Amino acid sequence: MTTQNDTRTPPRTFPDVCVRCATCMAACPVSRVTPHFPGPKQAGPGAQRFRSAAESSVDDWIELCTSCRLCDTVCPAGVPISELNLMAKAKYLDERGITFRDWLLVRGDLFGEMAARFSSYVNPLMKNPTVRWLLDKLLQIDRRRDLPCYEYPTFRQWFGARPAADNGNPKIAYFYGCFTNTNETDVGKAAVALLEAHGFSVDVPPQRCCGIPRLGVGDLRGAKEMGGRNLASLLPTVREGTDIVFSSTSCGLMLRHEYGPLLNLPGAEELARHLFDICEYLLHLREEGKTDVTFRPNPMKAAYFASCHLKSLNIGLPALELLRLVPGLDVRLVEAECCGLGGLYGFKKEKFAIAEEIGKDLAEAVARMAPEIVLSDCEGCRMQIRQLTKRTVLHPIQLLRDALL
Amino acid sequence: MRRYDLIVIGMGLAGLTAARTAVEMGAKILIVGRGMGSLTLFGNTIDLLGEITPGTDMEAGVMSWTATHPDHPYARTGWAGIAEALVAFREFFPPPYTFAPVGGGNSLVPTGAGTVRPTYLLPVTMTAGVGISSEDTLIVSFRGFKDFQGDTVSLHLRCRGVNLSLPRYGLEGVTALAFARLMDEEPFRESLGEAIRRQLAGERRIGLPAVLGLRNPAGVMATLEAVTGAKVFEIPMLPPSIPGARIFRRLREELIAKGATFLMGNPVIGATLKNGRCEGITVQNPPLKTVYSADCYVLATGRFLGGGLWADMERVSEPLFHIPVSQPATRGEWFRERFFQPEAHPIHRAGIVTDAALRPVDEGGKVVLENLWAAGSILAHHQAIEEKSREGIDIATGFLAAKRALAP
Amino acid sequence: MHLQTEVLIIGGGATGAGIARDLALRGIPSLLVEKGDFTSGASGRNQGLLHSGARYAVNDPEAARECITENRILRRIAPHCIEASDGLFVSLPEDGPEYRANFIRACGAAGIDTLPLSPNEALSMEPKLNPLIIGAVQVPDGAIDPFTLVVENARDAESRGARFFLHTEVIALILDGVRIAGARVKDRITGEEFSISASWVINAAGAWVNQILGLAGLKIGIALSKGSMLITNTRLSERVINRCRPPASGDIIVPNDTVSILGTTSLREEDLEHYEVTPEEVSFLVDELSRMIPAVRGERFTRAYAGVRPLVQSAETCDDRTISRGFTLIDHESCDGLAGLVTITGGKLMTYRLMAERTADLICKKMGLHVPCLTHVQRLPGAGLSHALKDRLIRLRRHTPAARGEILCDCELVPREVVDAILREAKVRELQDILHRTRLAKGTCQGGFCVYRLLGVLNEMRKAEGLGGSNRILKAFLEERWKGIRPVLWGISLKEEELIESIYKGLFNLTPEEPGPPEGDES
Repeated sequence: MTTQNDTRTPPRTFPDVCVRCATCMAACPVSRVTPHFPGPKQAGPGAQRFRSAAESSVDDWIELCTSCRLCDTVCPAGVPISELNLMAKAKYLDERGITFRDWLLVRGDLFGEMAARFSSYVNPLMKNPTVRWLLDKLLQIDRRRDLPCYEYPTFRQWFGARPAADNGNPKIAYFYGCFTNTNETDVGKAAVALLEAHGFSVDVPPQRCCGIPRLGVGDLRGAKEMGGRNLASLLPTVREGTDIVFSSTSCGLMLRHEYGPLLNLPGAEELARHLFDICEYLLHLREEGKTDVTFRPNPMKAAYFASCHLKSLNIGLPALELLRLVPGLDVRLVEAECCGLGGLYGFKKEKFAIAEEIGKDLAEAVARMAPEIVLSDCEGCRMQIRQLTKRTVLHPIQLLRDALL
Repeated sequence: MRRYDLIVIGMGLAGLTAARTAVEMGAKILIVGRGMGSLTLFGNTIDLLGEITPGTDMEAGVMSWTATHPDHPYARTGWAGIAEALVAFREFFPPPYTFAPVGGGNSLVPTGAGTVRPTYLLPVTMTAGVGISSEDTLIVSFRGFKDFQGDTVSLHLRCRGVNLSLPRYGLEGVTALAFARLMDEEPFRESLGEAIRRQLAGERRIGLPAVLGLRNPAGVMATLEAVTGAKVFEIPMLPPSIPGARIFRRLREELIAKGATFLMGNPVIGATLKNGRCEGITVQNPPLKTVYSADCYVLATGRFLGGGLWADMERVSEPLFHIPVSQPATRGEWFRERFFQPEAHPIHRAGIVTDAALRPVDEGGKVVLENLWAAGSILAHHQAIEEKSREGIDIATGFLAAKRALAP
Repeated sequence: MHLQTEVLIIGGGATGAGIARDLALRGIPSLLVEKGDFTSGASGRNQGLLHSGARYAVNDPEAARECITENRILRRIAPHCIEASDGLFVSLPEDGPEYRANFIRACGAAGIDTLPLSPNEALSMEPKLNPLIIGAVQVPDGAIDPFTLVVENARDAESRGARFFLHTEVIALILDGVRIAGARVKDRITGEEFSISASWVINAAGAWVNQILGLAGLKIGIALSKGSMLITNTRLSERVINRCRPPASGDIIVPNDTVSILGTTSLREEDLEHYEVTPEEVSFLVDELSRMIPAVRGERFTRAYAGVRPLVQSAETCDDRTISRGFTLIDHESCDGLAGLVTITGGKLMTYRLMAERTADLICKKMGLHVPCLTHVQRLPGAGLSHALKDRLIRLRRHTPAARGEILCDCELVPREVVDAILREAKVRELQDILHRTRLAKGTCQGGFCVYRLLGVLNEMRKAEGLGGSNRILKAFLEERWKGIRPVLWGISLKEEELIESIYKGLFNLTPEEPGPPEGDES
């Protein structure tokens, strides 16, 4: 039953500009590994000609799309393929109803806070085979997926406990993202350290989950709600003249590119104009000659993986450019397109195998490089690379922080 | 706003060549484009000028061509420019995956329609396809891989053909990329090679669809040749083109490794012009528009497919810098009555006219913008489809445009 | 070879096939010859509109009444050939509210159900309508698939003993005294000639009516009127959209499966075999129809086509000529002293069944039989099947990728099994015989990828040689396709064209000359 929802109708003209060239088929990581997903040419502009708002959705394969957006980046005609897929996914899932598992998973920020508080119990439980077996059977969370540990105190709590430094330094705000807050607090700490080293006084405004997990399950209403709340708490920061940086490329993509064009939230463009990837921002400072921060030599062999969402941000590879400034660091780009995790996608039992198969190419590429450390801006990629390669995987800013003089 | 030495607009072979040429010269560059260009569509081999009969020396052939086609892009580059650009291209593909001519000049390679087409530089994975004969060649196709119709090829080439089943995929179809990925796995290609070997009846050459791996095509070919004991060659088919994707990936990898800023996926929607110069370009990154600027710019945005040219119901325009486009007088003259013609439809010769240094000029021959160069299929007075000159024009003009733009 | 039948029908359009079925249902054997494939004439080159009759309500109430009656009958007997999409008649400011009021009254008088709608109501039903409309009226228009309709009529007739010979041209009529006793025909593919004797010959040759009459030294006054149409890449509206004004050109937008058909024009045509859509017609249609749906102006068109309709000019007076609304039934025995020959011409697709009924009634009368017509009650064979767009999309369902089979046409989601079935069941003499019977090559790229794949299938089955060899067929297909796309090559369609030419002329190097043998071939 189609319910009244505020799903925005995709611009009708866009499927029209598709010339069926199949370039997108050369980029899609999902159709590369499984025939169950027909590929972007078919799934997006192809199927769109058969869809009608009045008919119920039959697109049960549409949720196999990971929303990596690589198809968008290669389409010569400018078809917003991933957006078409997202709309179709939203309609399909809306009609089918959200599963309890998905309802739970997209609220990671809420139960994350609780799990963090009780991390000393939760972490061993998440490794307990019986618990994992239960989660697999009851919630279809694949037991083969390594689950991230929770940390306590959370990043927010850590930041709040620091003495406020009223040193008259220019202010900058930081959007940390759920994962940094409860599972990888060191990334947040590194961000703060780097920003302070560049002469800023860091502010952490009130913020909620960016909403991208909800987008991933087609819950546009929920995503819009999160967006509305974040805009309400972040716009004042922007309006007082403070820029905001993010360290998670997925959060960044959501805040900068989906709040406005996709979700039509008022104020989104204003936010976007003052929102930057942290490496993009620091690199920019350097180019404007506004900083003299230098780095200590670090003769490591590092592999840098550019996440799909970073590619969609279309800012180039600023982290890689910064890493090249670390003397002695041998850092090279991993030749692989997508890690396969797709955010929450690879946790789900019915998609685990696909995610793993996609990630295989990345794992092989890393194996060939034999680096001492792997770096990536995206927490999903970091989790996937850790699981697939068993290597040390960090956010570039962690290495940069360690290289600060 | 970031400042570069050169900004290349367009990510097809022409743009990528211009970008690579520039980084080799030590320039700080940005390359921005909407897609991968036509490399992933039809870029399989390097066509230079298919009009030159196999056996004729290419230099002599091109010189004689440009004498009778003085407005052709090759007349701008000259043979010297073409030769230098091709040397640089070939150096970029060291063994084992090399590009080379077979027999010195043009050669004829089989296609997915069972015809042959003339081309110049072939990747090593296609060389065994030249000079095949009916008795010594087996064409292998695969059930479920519908973009290579083996019976069409074998019937027209008058060879024997077999249709094999692919492990892991049934009739529902495997895509070119999925197939190429499987081929990159040694155990897969060994067992495939074994299955092919069992089908051989004395043939010494095996033709396969052009999916011999993305990452290590020479290795794929080597395994298959070792297992089958025959020479193996791949045959270009319907898009997407895996051989073209290999070229794209290699160029992208190199550009990023050499420090170029590589922005793929968002269109350039505007340019800031002042006093006869381009001061910056605007890239659309919804909801933002970001401006980048450089000392000089190369426009390599392609033709209609690439978005370099746009045709409304009346005329053709160049949508970014509004450079005048040389074109037939009315839409009625764009296309001829029949699809197949000895000459190209007049619209395919439309495009941007340039001076000898590849700077776009207006109808009066005056340079439009001091710091703008043009390269690739956007140029007027060539017909890449009929002449079989697409990649040669891309490489030669991309190379030259960067050289001229960055000349002191 | 010599064949014998009661009734020989010349012409495989809707009228001819309809007559074969009507006669078959009355137990009268017939044999139909058609020089091309089914619907080669106007039946296959119209806008596919199932009229409610509303269009004629004001100026021609008789025609309107006839239409709505047939509309209801066709919905009953051929629901699977019809999309019951409904229609709107929209009024723009310049059309005036008076015509609309008149229109509603006239529809009522003709028995056509109408529902007046406010502009807001109409816009919420059809968001792409011009926001300036001053009102709309809903009527029971629909979209009809003429090819399926005709094929279904033929199938039903065939199952009851009628015989069909496609690609078979009449080259002479056989005269026996002052009576037509049959025809001499030629198979256009094999060149074989043979005779057919029949008690009655029905000339249902549509626009070719005089080509047949000429073989008997007769002629009627007809004018040829060309109507051109444009096909869009995506479907613009759920319903048929008409202009609420006195009928003119550029009045109608008909939805058809995944696309919309914009039409039409009405220009005098001289040459029955060679006509094309002109750039002026294209500009006219774009200008005129963008009044109703503004998006038409920037729309991407995948194809243009034209059809020629015969308009009967009643010059002679002959009281045995039954002229009903727009169609003409001539008993040449009474009119010209030539027995055994009957001509049925004019009319429209909508009224084919009625035309067939009248013709069959006449034949029965002449045979002295009193058998009633059953075509208005007996449903067509495939009537139980549905084919919603959604059904094709279901093919992509993930749990059964193997069951999905090989999809040959990506744009229209046509699987290989459909083609296999056609090759098994229908007598395929040329490529268009397959293409007419599926939606393959009717989508966005107009066969750019799928025809290569289809020919591969034919080669695999070794069926291509019989059709001329696959690259010859491919080139012929591309040339034929060209006629449809050339009039609309600008914008995105021009990009598409560049892609297709680059693949076939560039990558595959297909040239006007035949491909030669490979190098090194000594034979």
